[in-house]
Amino acid sequence: MTSLTRDPLLWILLVVLLAAVVAVMRARRTNMALRRTRKDLEAGLGQARGDVGQLHSHVAALTAQHRRDLADVRADAEAATKAVLKSAMGTLQSLAEEQQVLLDNLLKKYGDTTDVLADLMSVDHTGSQFGRRAKGISVLCGGWLGRREGAATVYDVARSAQGRIKDFDRVGVHSQVNVSLVGKAVEPVAVVLAELLDNATTYSAPGTPVEVNIQTVPTGVCFIVDDAGLGMDQETKDRATALLTVDGPVDITGLGDPPRFGFAVCGMLAARYGFAVSVGSVSPYGGVRAVIRVPESLLAADAPSPAAGAQDSPGPQAAPQRLAPVPVVGPSHVVGTTTGGLPKRRRRSGPVTMVPALDSTNQDATSEPAGEVTASRLGAFARGTHLGRTTNTTEGSDDQ
Amino acid sequence: MTKPVEEASVTSDFVRSYVITGGRTLPDSDDLALHTLVTLAPERTPPLGAGPEVTAIWHLCAGGYLSVAEVAGHLELPVGVARLLLTDLFEQGHLLRRAEPPRAQNVDRATLEKVLNGLQSLIG
Repeated sequence: MTSLTRDPLLWILLVVLLAAVVAVMRARRTNMALRRTRKDLEAGLGQARGDVGQLHSHVAALTAQHRRDLADVRADAEAATKAVLKSAMGTLQSLAEEQQVLLDNLLKKYGDTTDVLADLMSVDHTGSQFGRRAKGISVLCGGWLGRREGAATVYDVARSAQGRIKDFDRVGVHSQVNVSLVGKAVEPVAVVLAELLDNATTYSAPGTPVEVNIQTVPTGVCFIVDDAGLGMDQETKDRATALLTVDGPVDITGLGDPPRFGFAVCGMLAARYGFAVSVGSVSPYGGVRAVIRVPESLLAADAPSPAAGAQDSPGPQAAPQRLAPVPVVGPSHVVGTTTGGLPKRRRRSGPVTMVPALDSTNQDATSEPAGEVTASRLGAFARGTHLGRTTNTTEGSDDQ
Repeated sequence: MTKPVEEASVTSDFVRSYVITGGRTLPDSDDLALHTLVTLAPERTPPLGAGPEVTAIWHLCAGGYLSVAEVAGHLELPVGVARLLLTDLFEQGHLLRRAEPPRAQNVDRATLEKVLNGLQSLIG
């Protein structure tokens, strides 16, 4: 026994055993503490994740709010800009209109002075272009175009549009159609056609022709604009299509710098007045073909009124006072020739009744005042002397 | 949207005169004076694709001599523009023209009074 107790190996074993027990116990304690800590941490993590989720939704809400506010502010700014532009352009529109009326009078006043007339025409040309720009911007800002009283022929609408662009002399208008647009459609179609013509002349080489053909189709009438440019790339086509089919207000700040109003104006007017504009097909010359299709509802039912100033109406007021042919009264009194070759005339027996009346309305001389009778007699006298003058040869031949 | 009431009436001439002339140089007044008389040459047919103005001149001049000033007045166009259209038609051989008749010489008052007295004794 003593030998056993004295055996150092036993003691060593004992110490090792004790140490192991202590180590196990400590490890177990540490383990438990770590587990607790882990549980705590996991709970903390869950809470933090919840917080993060909350924060995310909060941020999203704030962002949405911010977007809404920004859109509101933009819309307000857009509306304010449009209101200001609309009012400013309205003033310019009426000034341009006034200027054109003024120029109409000046053109007639100085009509016989070739140099002045040519200068006035160039002023008129720049004025018309300026008026078109003002009208375009005004339309985009919700303004209205002027309205014409009475219908106008499609040919005149096309020529009116032609007059509003810079290179109007490159444009050829061909129309075999005798159709008129109703008054309210005249200005919109003219403005849209002017924009298309402006595009066509701007994006094709100088000197190349731009053709406007007007054709009737079963659903109305078409204005076809063909240029000989390079055509449009797909991006431009898409942009044009988007602007031409827009139904609602156009964002004028999104039209670029410098702003490209053309297609936006066309789209707005087409939607507002109910006609269709399309671009993107290829013209026979390799350029762009743009088409305005005006439905039957915007065509005038009857023949155009002569208000355009170019139509000759057969009415009594329009019948011109022609100088010739003058009723021949003289030769009836020549009864022969003398031996010398001079005409022999018979003396008039009833001179008063021989004075020819001006026309059938003057036959009833009894109801006319004496002044008119005298006037008609003097008229007959004047015609007699005129006849005398026209029968001599001092005025030259008929065809100079 | 605003109401259509805001649509003001357009009153200016619709087709501008520089479009009618096609931007060409206007002829000088020495060529066709205001009182030069023009008429349609016999047996002519209107040029193909004639514009409304040319058609109007055609109708105006078909019946007899008319002065340049009158043509411009009826067309409601400046005289220079009417003159250009008339010059075109003349160069195409559609129009005839002749100068104004020479002015009558001034007669002294006594002669006129004698003529007037004579007329009055005849028809008065």
